[in-house]
Amino acid sequence: MIKVEPKSNYKRIDAKASPSIGLCTNSDFTDNYIHTGSPPISHVENSVNPLEGYPKLQKLRQLKSKQVADHATRPFGCRRKPDQIIPTVEKWIVENKLQFDVIMIGALADNQFIYPFLSQLPLHKLCSKPGFLFIWASTQKIRELTKLLNSEYWGKKFRRSEELVFVPLKKNSAYYPKTEFHHDDSSVPLFERQQWHCWMCITGTVRRSSDYHLIHCNIDTDLQMESITPERESNHENNAIPENLYRVVENFSNSNRRLHIIPSYLGINMPVRLRPGWVILSPDCIMDNFNPDKYQSELLRKSTIKSRSSSNGSPHYLVPQTDEIDELRPKSPPPSGNRRRND
Amino acid sequence: MADLLPLVSFFINSSASIQLSPIQSELSLIWHAYCRDNYKISISSFVDQVSRINEITKGCFWKDLDSINSECALEYINIDKLVDLEEFLKVEDDNDPNRTNSLMDIDQTSPLPSYSAEDFFHMLNKPMNPPLNALEILITKPTARKELTISKMKVKWPKRQFAEVCRNNSHVHTLSNIFGNGGDQISKLRGKVSSTIYQCTLKNVHYLPIITNYTDISLGDCSYLDTCHRMKTCRYLHYYTLNASQCDDVKNDNLSKKFYLDCIANEYTLGDCLLEYKRAVLPPQWISCDVRQIPFSILGKFAVIISDPAWDIHMSLPYGTCKDVELLSLPMNELQDEGIILLWVTGRSIETGRKALTSWGYTISDEIIWVKLNQLRRTIVTGRTGHWLNHSKEHLLVGVKGGNLPWLNRLVDSSIVVSSTRETSRKPDEIYQIVERIVGKHARKLELFGRDHNIRPGWFTIGNQVSGVSIYEEEVRIKYEEYKKLTDRKKRL
Repeated sequence: MIKVEPKSNYKRIDAKASPSIGLCTNSDFTDNYIHTGSPPISHVENSVNPLEGYPKLQKLRQLKSKQVADHATRPFGCRRKPDQIIPTVEKWIVENKLQFDVIMIGALADNQFIYPFLSQLPLHKLCSKPGFLFIWASTQKIRELTKLLNSEYWGKKFRRSEELVFVPLKKNSAYYPKTEFHHDDSSVPLFERQQWHCWMCITGTVRRSSDYHLIHCNIDTDLQMESITPERESNHENNAIPENLYRVVENFSNSNRRLHIIPSYLGINMPVRLRPGWVILSPDCIMDNFNPDKYQSELLRKSTIKSRSSSNGSPHYLVPQTDEIDELRPKSPPPSGNRRRND
Repeated sequence: MADLLPLVSFFINSSASIQLSPIQSELSLIWHAYCRDNYKISISSFVDQVSRINEITKGCFWKDLDSINSECALEYINIDKLVDLEEFLKVEDDNDPNRTNSLMDIDQTSPLPSYSAEDFFHMLNKPMNPPLNALEILITKPTARKELTISKMKVKWPKRQFAEVCRNNSHVHTLSNIFGNGGDQISKLRGKVSSTIYQCTLKNVHYLPIITNYTDISLGDCSYLDTCHRMKTCRYLHYYTLNASQCDDVKNDNLSKKFYLDCIANEYTLGDCLLEYKRAVLPPQWISCDVRQIPFSILGKFAVIISDPAWDIHMSLPYGTCKDVELLSLPMNELQDEGIILLWVTGRSIETGRKALTSWGYTISDEIIWVKLNQLRRTIVTGRTGHWLNHSKEHLLVGVKGGNLPWLNRLVDSSIVVSSTRETSRKPDEIYQIVERIVGKHARKLELFGRDHNIRPGWFTIGNQVSGVSIYEEEVRIKYEEYKKLTDRKKRL
């Protein structure tokens, strides 16, 4: 016979079951949100300077962004109507033999038809190997990407490697997701939405421990918060993609060939600003100055050229790294035992 | 002066609507509304008439205003003065033998008033901005139901003490000098520090640096902070947390007030139990078992399921893991007909989890992000916590089953949960409050793959890491005993 004796157990459990009040003393952000409406994320202490307390990392970040800036191509914009974006990309591939190592797609906007766009875009020809994709979408839209992963063409070529999240700090922020209009109860979300998602996908082979000329791992985190400094609050500059998100990409990949495609109009409240080192293809670009030949000659001038180990394909166009950066960057521990398969 | 009569009547009849959104007393918009009622008038003469009415009545729209133009908005509308004026004008109008009824002038066949060039430019310069804005406000405005739910939650969940972090360096400096000398009792602070600092220690949290002989300040903070194993010899900086000492909780010591709050909090609404406050929450229940083996049918149906499976993420972890196939093949449909499920996922399993929820018959409605904090309330940015990027958050997928469920309280909490990390893989307790706000305190709640620290009142916890068995619900107990007898008999055979 089994013993099921609730009464005798009750006392022991009472002590056990009391929620660990001690651990959240003073800092139940969720409860505070219910009573004051102040979003939990706005109480995080390092939103202005995420690296506060870590001088080594701060130094590394500084050195890397200087290196990236010194070797960046001029900001290039290519303004095309939404229906002209895919033909433009196809033209680049066929006529100009253009390829990119880093391709960012999308913006912090709700009105993107990300799945139909991605399934039409000849990404495997546009993206070199190894190559990195960063796809931004709303919480709703990111789920459509599961379909892509399961499809024959995508699933084999691109691996989903990380999922980044961007969180706006305040309700009046330009990046706060718009309240959707719900025609019935079942489509109303359970929670107040306050997040944007990004899939980081990798194509080809790249190793964390040995390919440090191509990538630097573990410099940034998969959570990016909106950075509102006191001086910026008054003159708040919003953009299709906040600056720190471009920086995550630049810190991770050392390649100099970066493309950002925003496939749809974003409206007057979200301008598309150009960025040194990036080609931005969007119907909203402020400047339309992209010329493939000019771009390639500038790339040659600004980058360190390294031929690929495999015989086929164009060489790597890299941002050169300094000894100081290499000394400071987080490294994989030397391979040993069961750690090995993680690297 | 009689020409003012239609406008005065218009103001009297529509005073309420022109003060409301989208017109909000703006002259140019009032003019649009006035024209729509088939009074043919240009904007300039309209403004002129309004200004004359204000002058005659000695301020029925503005108290003192030097010049009026079309950009102005009415301060208020004094109906009494306008009614007086209307009566006066009517008498005067009747007495006028050559009167021309301004209403008769209008060409009734034209559906729209004709605009002068001036009016037209005015409209071009000032597009439909206010109405468009009004539409956005209307769409994004929280619904009455949402507002009601939130204010109800405020009463049902008494506010817990919350303290901000003090960022004043001189406070931290002064306090760490005192605490560095071994005086670690907050009560001793009084008199030793200025009253400003003392007041600050009552309200705010202070992090005081601990500096030992080994500490090298230039290295910065320790990645592990208060969880560092070598705290005494670590060269990185550690901190002592000085919590706010004054409790400003809403104390319900006033009995009549407490009774009143209970009454309004528990007034019956859609989705609640009748007489909720009289009903006790069930004591904690749990069964130690292998989740993959136990027949779910003995447990009954639940309104909410939380699951934190040990995903096989191809890493050496200090606990046994579960194969994807085993998780996907769990007969989840036996546990829930309608309700919500919350599934903790990480890394590779984010995608597996999304697939699992869909295959179990749920629609993924939300994704909660747990932002992990360290001792200093900062996000965790160091320590190679992920493969390509560092990980400072975890995902909790939320699925809904059963279509449109009117008993769920939606849009109360934020999808971002900010909370400190604890032991490996231990999840924040805030999730339980959040769930209870959605489904109510008395709904049946199940946790799969739970551990001893997950056991709590109102919840049924099953998993191989809880110890023993405790069941209060009679039906579940009988079914469990039968199942146990059966398996024992099988064993003996």
